Amino acid sequence: MKPYYLLPVLFLLCTACKKDKQEQGNIQVTFKNVVNGVPLVLNTAPYTNANGETFTVTTFKYYISNISLIKMDNSELRVPDSYFLVDENTAASKTITFNAPVGEYRAVAFKIGVDSIRNVSGAQTGALDPVNGMFWSWNSGYIMAKMEGTSPASTAPGQTLTFHIGGFKGNFNAVQDVNLVSPISLTVGLERRPQLTITADLYTWFTGVNLVKFSENSAIHVPGELAWKISTNYRYMFRITDVTDL
Amino acid sequence: MTKYLIYAGCLFLLIWSCRRNGDVRPGTQPYTLELPSNFPAPVYDMSWNPLTVQGVALGRRLFYDPRLSRDSTISCGFCHQQFAAFAHFDHPLSHGIDNRTGLRSVPGLFNLIWQKDFMWDGGVNHLEVQPLTPITDPNEMGEDLARLISRLNADQKYRGLFRDAFGEGEINSQKLFKALAQFMATMNSFNSKYDSVMRHAPGVQFTAEEAGGYATFQAKCASCHKEPLFTDGSFRNNGLPYNPYLHDAGRMRITNSTGDYLKFKVPSLRNVIKSPPYMHDGRFYDLFDVFLHYSENIEQTPTIDPLVKNRIPLSNQEQRELYLFLNTLTDPGFINSKSLSEVLITD
Ligand code: HEC
Ligand code: HEC
Repeated sequence: MKPYYLLPVLFLLCTACKKDKQEQGNIQVTFKNVVNGVPLVLNTAPYTNANGETFTVTTFKYYISNISLIKMDNSELRVPDSYFLVDENTAASKTITFNAPVGEYRAVAFKIGVDSIRNVSGAQTGALDPVNGMFWSWNSGYIMAKMEGTSPASTAPGQTLTFHIGGFKGNFNAVQDVNLVSPISLTVGLERRPQLTITADLYTWFTGVNLVKFSENSAIHVPGELAWKISTNYRYMFRITDVTDL
Repeated sequence: MTKYLIYAGCLFLLIWSCRRNGDVRPGTQPYTLELPSNFPAPVYDMSWNPLTVQGVALGRRLFYDPRLSRDSTISCGFCHQQFAAFAHFDHPLSHGIDNRTGLRSVPGLFNLIWQKDFMWDGGVNHLEVQPLTPITDPNEMGEDLARLISRLNADQKYRGLFRDAFGEGEINSQKLFKALAQFMATMNSFNSKYDSVMRHAPGVQFTAEEAGGYATFQAKCASCHKEPLFTDGSFRNNGLPYNPYLHDAGRMRITNSTGDYLKFKVPSLRNVIKSPPYMHDGRFYDLFDVFLHYSENIEQTPTIDPLVKNRIPLSNQEQRELYLFLNTLTDPGFINSKSLSEVLITD
């Protein structure tokens, strides 16, 4: 018997590996950082956490990665190589644009942090470049999100707050999945680019399932249970607050 | 006939469409890495960082360039000396800028492409991100990564060398790390007398004492110091008495698990004669002190490895023979290799 049936299989394999040629548009997302609904102002503005402790914020950064778009039929479409570092201190980093195939979508999903694969794949570049100060050298791995500030309640020298949240292994994997349903569907066309505003509320970091008191916890800079607990709080920090789809 | 052509065509298409973009860049010459037949497949995936003559040469220059440190005094090669198999001869603890002393001894560097975890505690998970620690550690080279990258970009010579190895564009940390990894990937040691014996090289044999030492080694040491790499890559507590000055928790620092307290990576014993002092804190200067440790001075702690728990008795003769066997693990070709030696940087 001649294995002619292998021909179509081979052909399918070839096409499966071939780069996607579908028509691409794009989506723009602007992140607005707030604390308990109030716009975040670095260094000066005082805020109060859920435990009644006042604090200021000097640094607020987080990774958004592995973006997917959810189609109207609920199937998921991955945006390849999507890694962004949103940094309150860098205006340009707060608006991100990524390619999306022409079509209609009902939700966006992403990870807060960097997936485990990129944590173990050696030297990276772009948003993942360690010059961004989001990589632990002594214990290889990305800091998924970072908040630094001060609080009179902190017992650390200089009353500082240092929350470096990371860890991609085992029970305390701090990479969190977020899924945000859009209030109206998003239609990507060649000339039509939906713009979303996503609000990130830093207040959620210290409240929710795991209440954080600065008097007891003012510094995290290792992966582990504490870091993971904060990540389970902040996975609820995002809301879509505005959509322009024209 | 046409049928075969179609098959061949499809196969070609399949390979073509699935190919990785990691091919050697045009204008560079591929560097052929010689690998030993008696080793397993390397862990480091070089298809993502194909070795080139230009990349390896650049990595070598970077390795020996003290300007990678904050005050331009300390290169990688300062702590990793070739004649000591790239350990720091005679230094129990590492010695960095401003005369600062680190917390651990400098391990030898070789056969790194077979290594899964780096550092005594295995905290570093990839050869390419390894240099980040010494470059930025205040006790080692103490430099800020962003500053180093901008200094490299401002250097005419380096701009040219990076362009030759990695193409146009700014120098970034990825290119720096890939170049260093390319050079380190060539630091391989597999031509000791032991290897010649194992490969049945004509005329090479162990002496009676070396053979005796090999038998003792296989019976008492090889489960941890596993051939042919002379490490199994695991983390274990070999019963060293706790050092109260350094407070080094070992692997537990990385995993937070009390089960890993005082565990350290099993080091390779290749070239061991050349790289005293020994252990993560360089506490022993002489291999006979190491033997004495295993045979008499094992400290009992909850995480002690079962293989050393009851001590490893070694008679005087066994110790002598073990020493002579370990001596056959020295690789003179590696230690004297002209392609790994220090380059003098004048521009
Ligand atoms: C100040 C001395 C010093 C300098 C400079 C230095 N190292 Fe090291 N190196 C060490 C020490 C100490 C360790 C072990 C550290 C530990 O386990 O915590 C080490 C470990 C390593 C390892 C891991 C080896 C293993 O078996 O796990 C590699 C690879 C390495 N160094 C490469 C480099 C490179 C590349 C540079 C230059 C960018 C460099 N080192 C600069 C002291 C130094
Ligand atoms: C239970 C596993 C185990 C066994 C068995 C074992 N070792 Fe080790 N060996 C280790 C570990 C782990 C270290 C590193 C310990 C540290 O630095 O804290 C080590 C370190 C060494 C070193 C220091 C190497 C260096 O570069 O610093 C020498 C030498 C050595 N062992 C020789 C031997 C000999 C000889 C035997 C057999 C008599 C032996 N070992 C048996 C686990 C073992």
